[in-house]
Amino acid sequence: MNATISRLALQSLFGQKRWWVLIALPLLQIGLAVLVRVLSGGETGGAFEPVLVVFGLGLVLPLVALLVTTGVLGPEIDDGSIVYLLSKPISRYVVALSKLLVAVVVTVVLGAGSLVVAGLILEPSEPGQALAVGIGAAVAGTAYCAAFVMLSAISRHGMVVGLIYVLVFEGLLASWLAGLRYLSVSAFGRRIAGSLDSALEPIAGNLPLGYAWIASLVVLAAGCYVAGRRLSRFQLRGDE
Amino acid sequence: MAQPTEGPRSGVIHDIGYRPYTGPRLGTGAAARSLFVTGLLNAYGIGRSGRAKGLPMTLLAMMLVPAAIMVAVMVTLGLTEGFLDYGSYPVTLMLVIVIFVAAQAPVLFSRDLRSGAISLYLARPLPATSYALVRWASLFVAILVFIGLPVTVLYVGALTAEADVSEHTGDYLAAMVGIVLLSAVLATLSGLVAAHTRRRGLAVGVTIIALLVSTGVVSAVQAITSQQGNETAGLVVGLLSPFSLVDGVQAELLGGQSSFMVPPDTTGWGLLYLVVCLAVVAAGLWLLVRYYRKQAGR
Repeated sequence: MNATISRLALQSLFGQKRWWVLIALPLLQIGLAVLVRVLSGGETGGAFEPVLVVFGLGLVLPLVALLVTTGVLGPEIDDGSIVYLLSKPISRYVVALSKLLVAVVVTVVLGAGSLVVAGLILEPSEPGQALAVGIGAAVAGTAYCAAFVMLSAISRHGMVVGLIYVLVFEGLLASWLAGLRYLSVSAFGRRIAGSLDSALEPIAGNLPLGYAWIASLVVLAAGCYVAGRRLSRFQLRGDE
Repeated sequence: MAQPTEGPRSGVIHDIGYRPYTGPRLGTGAAARSLFVTGLLNAYGIGRSGRAKGLPMTLLAMMLVPAAIMVAVMVTLGLTEGFLDYGSYPVTLMLVIVIFVAAQAPVLFSRDLRSGAISLYLARPLPATSYALVRWASLFVAILVFIGLPVTVLYVGALTAEADVSEHTGDYLAAMVGIVLLSAVLATLSGLVAAHTRRRGLAVGVTIIALLVSTGVVSAVQAITSQQGNETAGLVVGLLSPFSLVDGVQAELLGGQSSFMVPPDTTGWGLLYLVVCLAVVAAGLWLLVRYYRKQAGR
């Protein structure tokens, strides 16, 4: 871990115009929860799952993770300034890990944090339920960050590939082909959230709990390894 | 040009065959036209590298395949009535359209701003305002072709299957008006995002997220409000997404079928949807032109 690199990564996330895109999605999530509560006049029984699980865990969290992860690593590779960072006598794995750490922390704070707040707004009487979703979202967000670092290491168009993974693979295909739940990060998050609060059982899906935890850890480790390897073999290439 | 003068000469300028341009000078209109055509072709990757053709052409194929299958089913089973719904085709294939719009808008709006080639364009007689509008027109027509072509395939397929011509023509024309509106709104929004972010990856992400998340919010809130019986709130929320906006205009004013849960049910609401549509396009174009004029002033 290298504190300076982490600080620089944090600066590059919030120092540019990108920050309002990062803030917009969590705010939208909370705004939606408020709107639903106002519209339904306190009777939010059926709205918890569509707002928090389908929209929040399924759409807002992966998109926040994607924006954060591509923002931590992508711009420096794009404009070539990463060579100055890589020319320092620091292990490339440490560089990758420090940046990934920032991405994970920001994703957990913005993504999982907004889910907890939205959950508390929808169901103020049951903080355990909101917290369970928050923990599930924190695990899934960490795995998402690692997965997206991996994708952006494999492809130059990390953002587009990540979006296709979230929208087409998880959103479209996984709802038809149930077997794909073993490869879907949001299914891991739902399973973990479902195991923590009995009211959330219906969203958990048919997935072994141990598998959800182990698969999340495997994704995280693979993400660190692939990103570090990519940086250690980095070659400067021209723009498109 | 100074003419060589008679007298004692110390040097000689040899005529080595360079000639001035003596052909026709086509003027600003021709510049705008060729910029438009180049932009339109570039949006589909024509005139660019082979890799750039891959994505738009694959997406276009993905748009056409369902239409072809529907025509085949219609012809084999002889379903000529009530089988095709031209108006809901774009909403069904929303994901493909959104990916195309988001991926190809930066081709027209980000690249020359990012590389600095914009100052070369704007140094020529074509003013910044026309440049922005021509770029927008290229993207608009590209999206129009992208959405309109499969719907036209459906229509031609219906005619060859000897369906009722007048009924299908009416439905088809109504749907095409909706598609024109949708293309204009999408081109405006994605063009604005691409011009302001300049980075391809970020522009693609922001456009897709904005379009899909807004539509997701509309569907979610409309599902809840229709459960609660709060019609007005659902109608107001429908104004937030380009797809539900155009769907509302198409369903109420043009007599099509709506694909959303709470379509506008009175002409007043339909007109409001239409006005919001046109206002979005007008305001977006104004911002775009202002942005390019600022670029020219630099």
